[in-house]
Amino acid sequence: MTIPVEAVGLVRRFGDIVAVAGVDLRVEPGEVFAFLGPNGAGKSTTVRMLTTLLAPSAGTARVAGYDVVTEAAQVRRAIGVALQDAAIDPLMTGRELLRLQAVLYGLPRARAEARSAELLERVGLTAAAGRRVGKYSGGMRRRLDLALSLLHEPEVLFLDEPTTGLDPTSRLNLWDELRTLNLEHGTTVFLTTQYLEEADQLAARIAIIDGGRIVREGEPNRLKAEVGAPTLRIEVRDAQADVARTVLARFGAERPDRAGVLAIGLDGGAAEMTSVVRALDEASVVIEHMELNAPSLDDVFAEATGRRLEGADGDAAAGPGATPGEPAA
Amino acid sequence: MAVAAPAAGQARAGRERQIHLPAQALALAGRSVRSTARQPEMWLPSMIFPLLIAAVNNSAMAKAVLLPGFPPVDSVLQFLLPATVVQGVMFGAVSGGSDLALDIENGFFERLIASPVARPAILVGRLAGGAVLGACQAVIFVVIFRVFGAHVVGGPPAVLVLMAMAVMVTLMVGGITAAVGIRTGSQESVDAAFPLIFILLFMSSAFFPAELMDGWFRWMAEHNPLSWMIDAARRLVLFGFDWSDAAVAVVVPGLISVLTIALAVRQMRKRLERAR
Repeated sequence: MTIPVEAVGLVRRFGDIVAVAGVDLRVEPGEVFAFLGPNGAGKSTTVRMLTTLLAPSAGTARVAGYDVVTEAAQVRRAIGVALQDAAIDPLMTGRELLRLQAVLYGLPRARAEARSAELLERVGLTAAAGRRVGKYSGGMRRRLDLALSLLHEPEVLFLDEPTTGLDPTSRLNLWDELRTLNLEHGTTVFLTTQYLEEADQLAARIAIIDGGRIVREGEPNRLKAEVGAPTLRIEVRDAQADVARTVLARFGAERPDRAGVLAIGLDGGAAEMTSVVRALDEASVVIEHMELNAPSLDDVFAEATGRRLEGADGDAAAGPGATPGEPAA
Repeated sequence: MAVAAPAAGQARAGRERQIHLPAQALALAGRSVRSTARQPEMWLPSMIFPLLIAAVNNSAMAKAVLLPGFPPVDSVLQFLLPATVVQGVMFGAVSGGSDLALDIENGFFERLIASPVARPAILVGRLAGGAVLGACQAVIFVVIFRVFGAHVVGGPPAVLVLMAMAVMVTLMVGGITAAVGIRTGSQESVDAAFPLIFILLFMSSAFFPAELMDGWFRWMAEHNPLSWMIDAARRLVLFGFDWSDAAVAVVVPGLISVLTIALAVRQMRKRLERAR
């Protein structure tokens, strides 16, 4: 069986800027693979190289068994692509766009019609198929985009930030759709996201990218297990922060967090909580807030980069609905 | 053998693309025509403004037809028909290039490039869509002018030539605006090029016989290929069908369009290369 995506030492420079600085990737057949990272980490640039829209400055990549540079035409035929900022013509109807897509991919007419009807049904757009896309909601557009990218039954589906800018309900719907697609049809999915929850919910395997390099890669649960200790977060009055920090240092290593919050990896786990409270009390520290969280992908990210993804840029990771689409990296 | 396999695959993919090219170009031309039809604000000006200008000139030049040197005409409208057709299709052709720039701006172009579409189909589809609209517009103008008493002495063959000329002018202007659109990827840049094209038309014998001009302006008009084309078309309208006039009316814009389309193709290649 061909390997859906395989990249070795992929580099892309724009002038002096190195957007992607040596990425190695391997996605297995039938897998949902998530590429997780903040804005400007190199996610979109990597996807654009894998989908033949951009040539690598160095390195090689094979998608669906074909080289993205020397066999670009075969790659394009084998993949489905839904790009973050590739607009859908607002003047066309959903059905017209599907018809155009069928011609662009050289599908026989009868098969294209049958498949369009099936896909429209699946993404819940049958009733809206005759309406112009300009009148669609954001969620409907993404679902149409998904249907378009699946029309020719691609071996690998590339989704660049599929839920950026969507409201929570639309986001959950799209997740369901992707899960079904993967479970029932075995389509390999390569998606990029800046949302921790999205990667955690959907992907069998993730790669965390930061500054153009992959800093962690693996199954979400294994990555979280590698972080080990749960994160203990406390908030105290500013005046007592130093005392509290000294006390906490006895129970585990400090972890980065947002301002005003002291965070450590609690080595002893939940069983140590009472000891922590007692120690803080003995040092006369007044606890204003306290919580213990199992390791999350954000902890994985923080451990790898020394920064939090959550709240990194305008709280992007925390509230997907809150951030409108931003320019691709 | 291992080396030959990808090459064979590529040749096969290349052949497949050629097979699909006409269908893809047709589908994209259809999209272009449909999107123009769905935006009356795009095509209405190209219908109304040339007709308004013709109406104004019709009154302004009412007595000019009596000047010695002015060709014998039934009405000024008859004299203005070819120029009005050219002006109208020029409007439409500019918006074709402008739409192409918009596709690049909003990412639809990228959607096309990510698909296995034969690359020439993108440009051919856009230009062909404009050409179809141009031919229709020529017929509509002929009919409207006929209603107001300006008939085409050359009859149906001359009308066919006017349509062919309209198609060539669309390709000529469409080629240059597409080149600007593809190069800049900015709709505003294309729209900024628009007045330049019209100045070329006004510096020709389109709206007034060159014989009645003087000095440098006359020299410009006489050396302007648009004058050669329009004068030939006008002879078909005023005096009757003539093969050599028909040839000039179509071949002049045809030759220029070869140049402008070559320019657009070059810009397209460059844009596709830039990603490489």
